[in-house]
Amino acid sequence: MLLNQLIKELITKMGDDELIIGHRNSEWTGLGPIMEEDIAFSSMAQDKIGHSWALYRILHEELGGEDPDQFAFMRSEKEFKCCHLTEMPIGSYDFSLMRHFLFDHAETVRYNSMLQSSFLPLQQLARKVRGELKYHTLHADAWIIQLCRAGEESYLKMQTALDNCFQLACGIFEAGPDDKLLADEKVYPGEEALYGQWIENIYPVLVKASLNVPERKEPVYGGRYGKHTAYLQPLLNEMGEVFRLNPEATW
Amino acid sequence: MYGGGYIFEEPNRVQQREEQLHDDPEKLAAFEMRIANGEKIEPGDWMPAEYRRQLIRLIEQHAHSEVIGALPEGTWITRAPGFKRKLALIAKVQDEIGHGQLLYNAAETLGKSREAMINDLLSGKSKYSNVFNYPAETWADVTVIGFLIDAAAIVNQVANAKGSYGPYCRALERICYEESFHLKQGHDAFIELATGTPGQKAMLQDALNRWWQPIMHFFGPPDKVSGHSEKLMQWKVKMASNDDMRNQFLEAYVPKIRELGLTLPDPLLNKNEETGRWEYSDPDWDLFFEVIKGNGPCNKERLDVRKWAEEHGRWIRKALMKEGTFEKKAMPVA
Amino acid sequence: MNDSLDPRINRLKLNKTDDPCKVEEGENWNVFEVFHQEKRGAHHEHVGCVHAPDAGLALVFAKEQFGRRKKCVNLWVVRSADILAFDVEDEDMFANNLEKTYRDASGFKVMEKINKFKAQAKPANDK
Repeated sequence: MLLNQLIKELITKMGDDELIIGHRNSEWTGLGPIMEEDIAFSSMAQDKIGHSWALYRILHEELGGEDPDQFAFMRSEKEFKCCHLTEMPIGSYDFSLMRHFLFDHAETVRYNSMLQSSFLPLQQLARKVRGELKYHTLHADAWIIQLCRAGEESYLKMQTALDNCFQLACGIFEAGPDDKLLADEKVYPGEEALYGQWIENIYPVLVKASLNVPERKEPVYGGRYGKHTAYLQPLLNEMGEVFRLNPEATW
Repeated sequence: MYGGGYIFEEPNRVQQREEQLHDDPEKLAAFEMRIANGEKIEPGDWMPAEYRRQLIRLIEQHAHSEVIGALPEGTWITRAPGFKRKLALIAKVQDEIGHGQLLYNAAETLGKSREAMINDLLSGKSKYSNVFNYPAETWADVTVIGFLIDAAAIVNQVANAKGSYGPYCRALERICYEESFHLKQGHDAFIELATGTPGQKAMLQDALNRWWQPIMHFFGPPDKVSGHSEKLMQWKVKMASNDDMRNQFLEAYVPKIRELGLTLPDPLLNKNEETGRWEYSDPDWDLFFEVIKGNGPCNKERLDVRKWAEEHGRWIRKALMKEGTFEKKAMPVA
Repeated sequence: MNDSLDPRINRLKLNKTDDPCKVEEGENWNVFEVFHQEKRGAHHEHVGCVHAPDAGLALVFAKEQFGRRKKCVNLWVVRSADILAFDVEDEDMFANNLEKTYRDASGFKVMEKINKFKAQAKPANDK
């Protein structure tokens, strides 16, 4: 596969992850556990959707891709490359918080690895989102640690959420068609390297929270190659519902 | 963002008037003099019991309206068409929660806790703006809400920002600043449909027809039946009469609707050039009071959703209520 | 009852009962006052407050509630209970501030004195 094609695949899966998890997290807007957290979580959902927009714009402007709105809201399910973690319904707040913690650390590791990327648009984006991601992980860490130290019921919920999320989260790092070439070309170090760094970053927080970290036994793969859970298609229908009334019109 | 112009009445007003008689006349005179001089009242100040009660009611209802107002538009967050509209809508709904937060804080300075206010919302004891008991059926409804309901709210809030209670005015100052974004993004999305394809335009006209009566209801019943707001006006709790605010809204926005080639479903709606006031058919006020009583199309769902949110967040709030920390809970200071 | 028009709400599987739902006093945690600094070199100014279980989360919350729009470079939070303030009735302690002109630059008419001196000195120099 040509390098450009690999970069396209990389950016597509990054953008799709952020688009879908951003939509999921935005479902909490107005329904959060307390007003202050509602506002914070909503901001981060906006950031995620904003990142996906920026990534699709790179595809459009640098790599001959479609208009970002068309790309985001008109593609079929098979063409989506998001991982299953992002597709799951919001569940209860413990699940959503744990997903946020695991995903945002992964995202941070990914963008940080691109601060020196040979593909300049990614390098620039990585610089731009660094401050936002710093807040996201600060927020996630604070919640995980607080809730794990707030009594048994709360601790058990968080441990269960971690157990439910972990194999899904490992699916973020499903290898691409040729990560080695991308690493050799210094676009980014490849999924396995990111996974290692991710574990290194989340481990101390999970230890501080006294959570047992599961092993990577059955990582949930498939999303990167267009295989999805039953939850994705209905969400895609919903996301494009108005836009598809008339894709030629401006809204 | 959504200060419903109408402060819903509670039944025990007679008792309140009696309490009013017990206010120290000297302190009352000094208090009223201060307001007449255009000074603000601050949290620790002496104030008549009725002033405190009315303010709590007003600010609390305003806060509830923000929190409930987040729901009809929140409906469309996942469905909003395209990145720009989607992000603007999430940011706007987020602001509404933010405004609710600011307003609950302002009300707390008067001595009622946020928890007590939330409980009164959930039990139905405390009201919120009636307009949010109607469904947002299509995307065009979102643009009508974003443009016209926000515009109506701004008329109300700009007036209230000149009121007498310091913390409420400070909250409104920030709220009005953010509202300017809401109105602009709403107007923009509204114009997009009005000037778009025939399908888009029809969708908008349809939404406008459905929302016109709730919008006419927004500022509350006509002055001739509303009454007893003289004292509230003197104390600068209520800053303009229902009819005056409605007129101000019609004056500013009817031309903005008509210039886009849209029509409004009221054959009598017209400005009387002699009096300078707008004339219109009376909206159905019986329906208005029915909806206040809880019989609107969405009252039940709105409160059920709020209950869901409170119930599902409870374990988190409780887990972090550490022993002893909350015995001497302080209210916001300003 | 029909399903909601809101697909989010349908996913929540609302509990459609009339059972009361009550929030316990203290469930919305403590109150923290928030001060923001608009730019380096500026004072931190009071902007409002947040409810939070501790100072750490108060700061996390304050960042989005009070720092998500306008320029902001730093925030402080402090428990509302820890704010010590005068009673509003003590306003009269400050009442005479403006009269004590000996504390104020405007209370000293330097130029008047110089001009007077110059006016007096002039005839002498002319001699």
